[in-house]
Amino acid sequence: MDCATCESMVEVYLDGELSAAESAAFEQALERCPACRERLEEARALSGLLRDLPAESAPDLLRARVERDLRAAGGARPAAAPRLPLRWMATAASLLVAASLGWMGGMLSTQQGRDADELVSGYLRVAASDHPVDVVSSDRHTVKPWFAGRIDYSPPVHDLTTDGFPLLGGRIDVYDGRKVAVLVYGHNQHKLALTLWPASADNGVPPDISQRDGFVLAQWRHGGFEMRAVSDVGTSEMESFAKAIDRTIDSDR
Amino acid sequence: MAIMSEAPKPDSGMVERFRSVMLPHLDAAYGFARWLTRDPVLAQDVAQEAMVRALRYFHAFRGEEARPWLLRIVRNTWHDARMKQRADQPLEAAEEQPTEGPDPEQSAMIEDRRRHVAAALAALPAESREVLVLREIEDLSYKEIATVLDMPIGTVMSRLARAREKLAGDLRVRLGRRTNGLRDL
Repeated sequence: MDCATCESMVEVYLDGELSAAESAAFEQALERCPACRERLEEARALSGLLRDLPAESAPDLLRARVERDLRAAGGARPAAAPRLPLRWMATAASLLVAASLGWMGGMLSTQQGRDADELVSGYLRVAASDHPVDVVSSDRHTVKPWFAGRIDYSPPVHDLTTDGFPLLGGRIDVYDGRKVAVLVYGHNQHKLALTLWPASADNGVPPDISQRDGFVLAQWRHGGFEMRAVSDVGTSEMESFAKAIDRTIDSDR
Repeated sequence: MAIMSEAPKPDSGMVERFRSVMLPHLDAAYGFARWLTRDPVLAQDVAQEAMVRALRYFHAFRGEEARPWLLRIVRNTWHDARMKQRADQPLEAAEEQPTEGPDPEQSAMIEDRRRHVAAALAALPAESREVLVLREIEDLSYKEIATVLDMPIGTVMSRLARAREKLAGDLRVRLGRRTNGLRDL
């Protein structure tokens, strides 16, 4: 075997794709070919570096989302199937319970239900993500200009740290087929996602707070903006959040 | 995939079979999506959509290796999402932004070396990145990679060789190992 031949076999050998006979011939050739020994060691080192990268498992919220899809496809889990990680089961179970509660309440029409689903998915993108916001800042003077040129309106942006809801940043999402601004606030370990866009009606509508899929939703209209907030905080915290938003918008005028 | 038309609505038996056959590979689906998209948020969307599609096509699954079968759907889903994204924002080359690797915050805390390797891999063009991830991280055989990428084994091998050469070169520069190579790091 000449060097060109064994050189061409280095990677295939390393990948375990040579037959036993080919491997033996290659190993024999290797003894006489320092250049290819060198190539093999280098290829092995590169492979080792890649294999050393930490693997990442699917986030719990992704599992919960998939679980919801499977359920929607008509596959309710049988009661006894304890094969899933406990955390996942808990998440899935809480989603199921919340979903059925929402159903029995019958408070949401189908269209509203779809809207709420869209909002909850948007919130999951915020809550489940390692970088939940596209612009990371507690400074409204950074966040507000960031939206310019990305969406066709300018949302009111305020930091609510003094009310217990520090501004974490903002992102763009798509809601009802249109690009909208999402402001992300923190509250202790929780996050709140506020989606807002210019209202077509002038009159204000006070916050309507509901629960869905284990999340709290608030919808209201204030200061010429439609507001939709989603979070995993409690309903009373959501109420104070909405109040704080309205108050700062009023004081801004 | 040619056999995706007239999918019967999955019944509960099929969903149950899907759970036991495909769901164990959700980590792989997410991990692959993560390297493809280089964005943990987008990766979740792609993985979720891929699972929905996989369920829809599951009637055509004939008991072959489940992981390559699923990863192929992940890759197709990502392709479609990328096409759509490009159509939405033709001026922003969202895909080709320089990136720090799949998870900058976490990577900053782990060793320098891993960070460099992740960054170098993430910076490779998609056609090199996907073949390397499937071989070295997903540990698939040439044949399985050929299934996922829907190309002949010969193409897999030449792409893999090219990708390795490029990555090794980039890494030597990043790690300042021009002369010593990549060993003993």
